[in-house]
Amino acid sequence: MNLAELQALFQARILAGSGEADAPLLDALRESQRGAAREELLGVYQSGYRVRLESFLYEDHPGLRALLGDDDFEALAREFVEANPPKNRNARWYTTGLPDYMAAAPQWRDDRRALSMALFERAMVDAFDAPNAETLTLQALAGFAPEDSPRFVFEFHPSLILLELSAGTMAAYQASDEGEEGGGDEALGEAEGAETFAPDANETVAIWRCNEETAFRELEGDEYVALNEARAGRTFGDICQMAAFQQSGEIAPERLAQFLASWFEDGMVVGVSLRD
Amino acid sequence: MQKPAPLGYGLGLRPIYFDEIMSTRPPVDWFEVISENYMVSGGKPLSMLDAIRADYPVVMHGVSMSLASTDPLDFDYLAELKALIERVQPAWVSDHVAWTGVHGLTLHDLLPIPYTAESLGHIVERICRVQDYLKRRLVVENASTYVSFASSEMSEQDFVREMAERADCLLLLDVNNVFVSSFNHGFDPIAFIDAVPVERVVQFHMAGHTDHGTHRVDTHDQPVCEEVWALYERARRRFGDVSAMIERDDNFPSFSELLDELQRMRDIDARVAAERASLSAA
Repeated sequence: MNLAELQALFQARILAGSGEADAPLLDALRESQRGAAREELLGVYQSGYRVRLESFLYEDHPGLRALLGDDDFEALAREFVEANPPKNRNARWYTTGLPDYMAAAPQWRDDRRALSMALFERAMVDAFDAPNAETLTLQALAGFAPEDSPRFVFEFHPSLILLELSAGTMAAYQASDEGEEGGGDEALGEAEGAETFAPDANETVAIWRCNEETAFRELEGDEYVALNEARAGRTFGDICQMAAFQQSGEIAPERLAQFLASWFEDGMVVGVSLRD
Repeated sequence: MQKPAPLGYGLGLRPIYFDEIMSTRPPVDWFEVISENYMVSGGKPLSMLDAIRADYPVVMHGVSMSLASTDPLDFDYLAELKALIERVQPAWVSDHVAWTGVHGLTLHDLLPIPYTAESLGHIVERICRVQDYLKRRLVVENASTYVSFASSEMSEQDFVREMAERADCLLLLDVNNVFVSSFNHGFDPIAFIDAVPVERVVQFHMAGHTDHGTHRVDTHDQPVCEEVWALYERARRRFGDVSAMIERDDNFPSFSELLDELQRMRDIDARVAAERASLSAA
């Protein structure tokens, strides 16, 4: 057996566990000097693989664990690891496929709350180590003439992620986070987590990094639309007109100005320019 | 042989200790970072690394170069590593005598190889290619193993020595890994240490492991045990002034406990140096 064949067998054993296919690999191993069975020693690698990958999921998804409860989360982690042998050399990226896996898996795809929480927590991880950028304060607008404001185009922090989630996701995440910080071992029970969710209702959320810490806050529906459009490169003037149209003229221009001020205050804006 | 200058007594830089390190500037001579943890676009990990690098020497330690894998070398990974090297300007860069996966997978573990002429030729060729690409000599570490192969044609220490000579690489001697593997496979850890070429060792790793009775597992979640301390003293006597550090990756103790372990290293080394001085005076 050459090195490539041996490595293929060894990897297959780690991924699939013990079975009849192990015979050539077991034959290739020396007997332990200490009386440990060869199967047991292979098990160190096999169980280490699973425990390590599952620990990545536990680390990145405390809210989902609290929401589902330990047993269901453990089942999800086990299924995900089974279905997703890692391809990236950086462990950081291993958990990023969890929401997509859940959305495609028959046993998870209809659990809207769980999917929302998984998406939210993935965004928290993504924002944490997204590229850096210097943020601007509202003072950055002082250099422009007031009549230029309709031509403002904004650039946002690379970490900024906007999500439309099942209503109650943020509250459930905060509850689980506070539970963790309280030092208690008790996870947020499924029933407790369920209280924060409103069936079929949505909440819109901004997640970004500010002063090196991940931040999030709820966006009202109109702010969510405005921020989405601003991020897509629409001018401030276009967004004002759009908002006026959507709200049948009832939206106060001051409200858009407030949105803009809060984007600066929250450290979301990293660039302002004028569209010709 | 030109070796990097010794750095003294170091610790593995782990995020849980970031704030304490930044606020107290502890008496640690240098830090080792896990390279992959900083192969990200931005955020707190990189800024903390930059801040610590400004005040301390740093070495980069990788866990997924997969030097012994029969998959092709991953040059995307190596390009990221090279970019991080440019940023950090580490004293050296290390990885393991191990593979982490084949067929495009990476299992996030350091997997064992048979010590054969085929494995030796394979890993030597890959170390040489990595060194050519990174334009620096690589530091390669002996890994802990839990199984050994009937096809092995040489001891691990002979494999490591031959690998280092042929690839002209440097070595990181993990004293705990020597102990764990020697226990698991029934070889003499002192014979291992005595066979490693002095001129190529630039760093010691010290760590704790878990004792399962019939085998020991390199978990980095315990204090260094007495047997490993004894082996450390043996290594220090043989290799002299080599940078040494404590690795801790789980069951994190207070930072002061890690500093206590560093102090124990210093105490052992002072005793060894004093004995040496009195011998040469006599």
